[in-house]
Amino acid sequence: MHLCSVDKYGESTAVHKKVLIVDDSPAEVKLMLGLLEREGYWPVGLNDPTRVEETIAIEHPNVILLDVVMPNRNGFQVCRDLKGSDDFKTIPVILVTSKDTASDKYWGQQQGADGYVTKPFTREELLRAVRRFA
Amino acid sequence: MRHANVLILTDDTEFARLLTACWQTERNAPAITVITSELWREQDSPARDLVVVGPVSEGKLTNVLRSLDPATAVILCVPADTREYGQLRTKYPRLVHIPLREDWAQTLLLVAGESLRRAEAVRLARQAERNAAKNENHATLGRYMLDMKHNVNNALTSMLGNAELLLLEPGQLSTQSLAQIKTIHSMALRINEVIQRFSSLASEMQEAENASQRETEETTGTSSRRR
Repeated sequence: MHLCSVDKYGESTAVHKKVLIVDDSPAEVKLMLGLLEREGYWPVGLNDPTRVEETIAIEHPNVILLDVVMPNRNGFQVCRDLKGSDDFKTIPVILVTSKDTASDKYWGQQQGADGYVTKPFTREELLRAVRRFA
Repeated sequence: MRHANVLILTDDTEFARLLTACWQTERNAPAITVITSELWREQDSPARDLVVVGPVSEGKLTNVLRSLDPATAVILCVPADTREYGQLRTKYPRLVHIPLREDWAQTLLLVAGESLRRAEAVRLARQAERNAAKNENHATLGRYMLDMKHNVNNALTSMLGNAELLLLEPGQLSTQSLAQIKTIHSMALRINEVIQRFSSLASEMQEAENASQRETEETTGTSSRRR
């Protein structure tokens, strides 16, 4: 998605919406990078969920796609921490997970997630969820 | 109760005739086989729910009792004053003995009825144990499949997503490659449907189990109140 902004010199520049993808599986990160890049987004991949805050501070994403089942720190924990932080709570978080029961979705909502995409997703399902926020 | 099998083992034809006649007046008469100690061969005999050993020729009782399957319920109905019985009492302390005196037939029928009910209860309990073990195996398999669903879904995400990415650029692929990718994509979708069906089946089964649990609790509550 390309937006236009005008810089301080009055020149028009293309602005890509940045999407942070947090998933411990490199194959899935690569896949989502490919799908989002095609649509004009600026995706950034991260395999280590313990470095989410650090990466957000550097990248300033517009939206975060967050896997749930990950080693060391699961997506629910990450989401809860982000939504509890004054610095990050306004960034929309979309949980992207194979956990598909009603209780999983409810639990995701309880952690403050703004969206929920179930794996396996189609390209359209992923893009629809991202477009709501970016 | 299922139709029970009873063996009357005796050399006293009057004993066998009277007992059979009494039993046949009962509402739930078992299938009865009468045999003498001369013709008795345990190894040729089908499984019985109960064996009633009546009076047999002198010296035969020990051999008859020894030859019976220890798992089979046995009621001994002989005069209490025989020498052979006196010896057997110490050898088989748990043997159910009904002395052959007045009203022995009514007493025997009462004891036999209880013995058959117990045999039936034991049979049902064993069957329930076997079913429980089988269900436990199925449950383990089901849990394993549910655990694996997460991994299958992750693999499907990559398969479907990458196939979709390739299909977005049809110009870069030969017609044959395009057709093959479409096949991979549609097969991945089919696997997804199977997995989804499995998930909904698991939910339905959980729902049925909860309903059954509620029903059991309600029934238990009603019978407690009745008491």
